[in-house]
Amino acid sequence: MSIVLDRLTKLFGNHSVVDQVSLELANGEFFVLLGSSGSGKSTILRLIAGLLQPDEGQILLHGRNVTHLPPQERGAGFVFQNYSIFRHMNVAQNVEFGLKIRKISVEERARRREQLLDMVGLAGLDQRYADQLSGGQLQRVALARALAYEPNVLLLDEPFGALDSRIRTQLRRSLKEVQRRLKVTTILVTHDQEEAFELADRIGVIDRGRILETGRPEALYSRPRSLFVATFLGAGTILVGKAGSGQARFGSLSLPIPPESAHKDGERAQVLFRPEQVVISEEMPDSGIPVVGQGKIISRIFSGAFQRVRVKLPHLPETRQVSPRVPFGEEGLLVDATVPAETSLNRERVWVGLRAWHILEEPHLRMLLYVGKQEPEEAGACLGFARDLSGRINAQVTLLGVAENRESADELDRLFSKDELVQSFDQPDIQIRTGNATEHLIRMQQDGLYDLLVLDAGSCTNTMLMELLECCTTPLLVAREKRKELQHILICTAAGEPGKNDVRVGGRLARRLNASVTLLHITGNGDLSSVAREHLDRASATLRGLDISGAVRIRQAATPAEGIVAEAGEGKHDLIVVGGHGPRVRSLFKFDDVTFQVLNGVDRSVLVVPVEEE
Amino acid sequence: MMRGTTGRNISGRNALPLGLLVLVLMPLLLMPIAAVFIFAFRGGPGAFLRALSSQDAQFAFRFSLLIAFATAAINAFVGTFAAYVLSKYRFPGKRSLTIMVNLPVAIPTVVIGTSLLLLWGPIGLLGQMLQPLGLQPMFSPVGVLLAHLVVTFPYMLGTIKPLLDELESTYEEAAYTIGASRWQTFFHIILPALRKGLFTGTLLTFAHSLGEFGATVLVSGNLRLRTQTAPLFIFAQFEAGNIETANAVAAALALLSFVLFFFLFRYTGERVI
Repeated sequence: MSIVLDRLTKLFGNHSVVDQVSLELANGEFFVLLGSSGSGKSTILRLIAGLLQPDEGQILLHGRNVTHLPPQERGAGFVFQNYSIFRHMNVAQNVEFGLKIRKISVEERARRREQLLDMVGLAGLDQRYADQLSGGQLQRVALARALAYEPNVLLLDEPFGALDSRIRTQLRRSLKEVQRRLKVTTILVTHDQEEAFELADRIGVIDRGRILETGRPEALYSRPRSLFVATFLGAGTILVGKAGSGQARFGSLSLPIPPESAHKDGERAQVLFRPEQVVISEEMPDSGIPVVGQGKIISRIFSGAFQRVRVKLPHLPETRQVSPRVPFGEEGLLVDATVPAETSLNRERVWVGLRAWHILEEPHLRMLLYVGKQEPEEAGACLGFARDLSGRINAQVTLLGVAENRESADELDRLFSKDELVQSFDQPDIQIRTGNATEHLIRMQQDGLYDLLVLDAGSCTNTMLMELLECCTTPLLVAREKRKELQHILICTAAGEPGKNDVRVGGRLARRLNASVTLLHITGNGDLSSVAREHLDRASATLRGLDISGAVRIRQAATPAEGIVAEAGEGKHDLIVVGGHGPRVRSLFKFDDVTFQVLNGVDRSVLVVPVEEE
Repeated sequence: MMRGTTGRNISGRNALPLGLLVLVLMPLLLMPIAAVFIFAFRGGPGAFLRALSSQDAQFAFRFSLLIAFATAAINAFVGTFAAYVLSKYRFPGKRSLTIMVNLPVAIPTVVIGTSLLLLWGPIGLLGQMLQPLGLQPMFSPVGVLLAHLVVTFPYMLGTIKPLLDELESTYEEAAYTIGASRWQTFFHIILPALRKGLFTGTLLTFAHSLGEFGATVLVSGNLRLRTQTAPLFIFAQFEAGNIETANAVAAALALLSFVLFFFLFRYTGERVI
């Protein structure tokens, strides 16, 4: 193993940019870390090079623990995106710099330089200075310079990011060739999946500081385990349906589930099919391949060797589409396909079949549950509510306990491990922390690890709620366990972007709970504006797309909060869904806030849906 | 600043703006300088040389050059160090510190002289304590050097810091990963990148020190053959009515400045001011 990372963690402030990353690289392997900007991929590279110090974990290069060594003693070759060629030195001096520092003889230096410049395709340019070279040439110099002193490992930080696509292709090819010849273990960081596919022996997809999956390019592309990797590595259609007797069912479409990703009956099942796995035909396909349905071509884009076709099909019952995203207010099914450019599709209506597909592993919903200080019976009631809820929506629960000091933390730990209710959860993850509960909650949900935050209404103070409303980016369920059945959900929605997300998230929860939904809209004067009417129509369509029929209720009230509270008090609703607005004017008129007034005004459980971040 | 006129033919069209410029510059710049030389040589070359070779004039010249060399050398080091710290390190109060070290440009030199006197002078805050020990920094060559260091400090900093700011941090990091120590990196990578700035900054400091008057006149006590610099000598001769002597030294000083300026122009691609 030439590079071993063992639970590497790096914090910037309170935020972990690299989170418990473990990785092992074989000798001579070309590994590509693929992630979007801010995912922590460059930080990992800088940690390996010693330009940053990790907060936890170890780095081993060729069996040597280098975690606390300065960059000079690690022997890592590093290539930067901005080349960083020394401008006062010519190409030869740049390449020889590492050898000169190591006091290698002049003849040996010259020999090595010539060999390397020849390898990277710069022979004869030794006397040039940086300002006489093109971007591509500069990066070749940087590569030769990093390889000159025969580094243990080669690290490349988005090396082709600043170059145009034609030069990028050439450089990729040279890099791959040089790497093969020298057999130096290499890590390259990029956000470009095409680059990753072309270069890597193995790819690691990184998101929010964690490596989600690693694998050979073909395997990751066509058989990803998780939804994130599936969507990050390329286009494709992803549907959510139900598993039953070894089959994944998406309405009329039924696909066998392979044994390695076995699902329990009734569990959610997700299928991925890439555009090139979709068969588009004017006639009904042979009985051999699964048929998604018949639909209408809504767009065709020519892109060289093939054309991209998007087909809109009628909604499949009991199926939710994840990707491509169906626009708000539409209920159909969208399928992307690539067909050869010369294919002529004369008819507008076509049949869509599948040549191949892949069932994703079922990820559980993750729920973060906090039970604060209160009487044991109340805490028990809340735990019971959360357990029932987690069972019904098939969620994995993390139970957070916050104590004032170490001793009471130990006490809490003992209490939890003995508690029958806690133990009745399906594999609960218990986390005991000391300090301020609000801070812990905000920090834990920050990294997007949880789909739902559940708090007991009895255990949170107004200040705590206020802070959570302002900082949480995860849906927040404030539970009042009186009505634990959650059979009827009231979604309060207003026209505009936040209103769309209320409907989406509320609808998905309703779908999982098999609950009925009422859409509530409050007007000041009893009239419904055309914008609001359109919004409600589209909200209903979106719910239909989730197989939910939503009744619409329009209510007149002086303020939205008043209307919602009144409606909640009259109806049979078990759960009220309202939108949060994130960190906005709230700080100015804190207690006037609609969300806050609803939370305080109703005696039901309330789900606060934050504004969606793009 | 002279780029506009080089390499372009003067035709009827642009003769007018050029003529206007020269017309404005004549009384402002060209004529006063010419006057110095005319007056200096009015008594003939013999009188000019006599004036220059007097003991006082000789001393004033040598002292000025010595101080200017010392100032330029010391501030080259201190200024570069300050620029490095202010550019590469992050610390609270960095902004205020940056403003503070640049302050001498904004404060009138006379005020700087006064403040030095109030600190180091015989009745000054620190000078009071040094007096019993027989130490008297003011009215001595040390005092003059001190004043010049303070007055010219921002020039070195001002030329080096922008260069360091432009140097991306990966430049140093590249050297570290290649295996160069901090010192090797500074010596082989950073310093060469600052070459031009070091040259310009040093020359600029030298030139300013050579002409410094305001602060010097206060802290030196204007003692002939001890602390009298060339500009002070010129002023003293004027006051005493020896206009020829004053002019001769002024002309020589102007000539020296021209030479310095020429070098600055030559080696920094005209980007002096």
